[in-house]
Amino acid sequence: MSLQYLKEAVSGSDTEKLIRYVRLHFGDGNEAAGKQEIDKAWIEALKLLLDVPATDREFILNILAEKDAATLAHLFFHLHFYFVERSGEWIHDGRV
Amino acid sequence: MDESKENDSPQLRPGLWATVNERYPGSMITKSDFVPLARLKKPLSESRLTFISTAGVQPKNSLPFDTVHPVGDYTFRRVPSKSKPEDLEIHQLKYPTVGAEKDLNVIFPIERFQELAKEKIIGSLSPNFFSFIGYNMNPEMLEEKLAEDIAEAVKAEGSDIALLAPA
Repeated sequence: MSLQYLKEAVSGSDTEKLIRYVRLHFGDGNEAAGKQEIDKAWIEALKLLLDVPATDREFILNILAEKDAATLAHLFFHLHFYFVERSGEWIHDGRV
Repeated sequence: MDESKENDSPQLRPGLWATVNERYPGSMITKSDFVPLARLKKPLSESRLTFISTAGVQPKNSLPFDTVHPVGDYTFRRVPSKSKPEDLEIHQLKYPTVGAEKDLNVIFPIERFQELAKEKIIGSLSPNFFSFIGYNMNPEMLEEKLAEDIAEAVKAEGSDIALLAPA
């Protein structure tokens, strides 16, 4: 099963299989598109910080301290789609 | 399929299914213990019908389906069968929703069911229909949790027929 495949990849430190899975998810089955989507999200996040705007670091640090790692991992996936949507280049068929 | 027939019904993504196991290793369910379909025990005009869909349709203001999770969402939403299309919305990423955004009935034909019930072609509709998203990469959870949860909910509403429709 697919999770077994991924868990074996974790056990075997087969990072290529793991990142490929993430790219396929972000690219709706197209690995190259998924890689571009990851880049797109990071570029959008970087652009927002170039002018060093005021940000709520207290909120960030509290969230990081208070929430469990799985919730933060889930948030990480949400943030990817948030920044992709914010970029204005939405490749997906539907919406989150 | 020969080329002429293929051109008559073009896929949005040619070859999508031919490579699904390569792209999502082992995610396709392969079963040998198929359960035979149950026979209808009374006429359609006397039967209560429910509708189960993977379209990601849900009532507005309900918790959106988790379309971002890498392993999927194993929850379902109840969609009141009396709903109007404007009461509902779609949350999913994996199929084109352009047509459904214009007319929800193309993917979730709730008004057609309401018409068929009004005309007594179908006896009645269950109080709720059921909806989930199809991006579920853990087949065991899909079968043992989500499918079981929906089956229990359907049974509780006294349905005689369950119409299943993939998006």
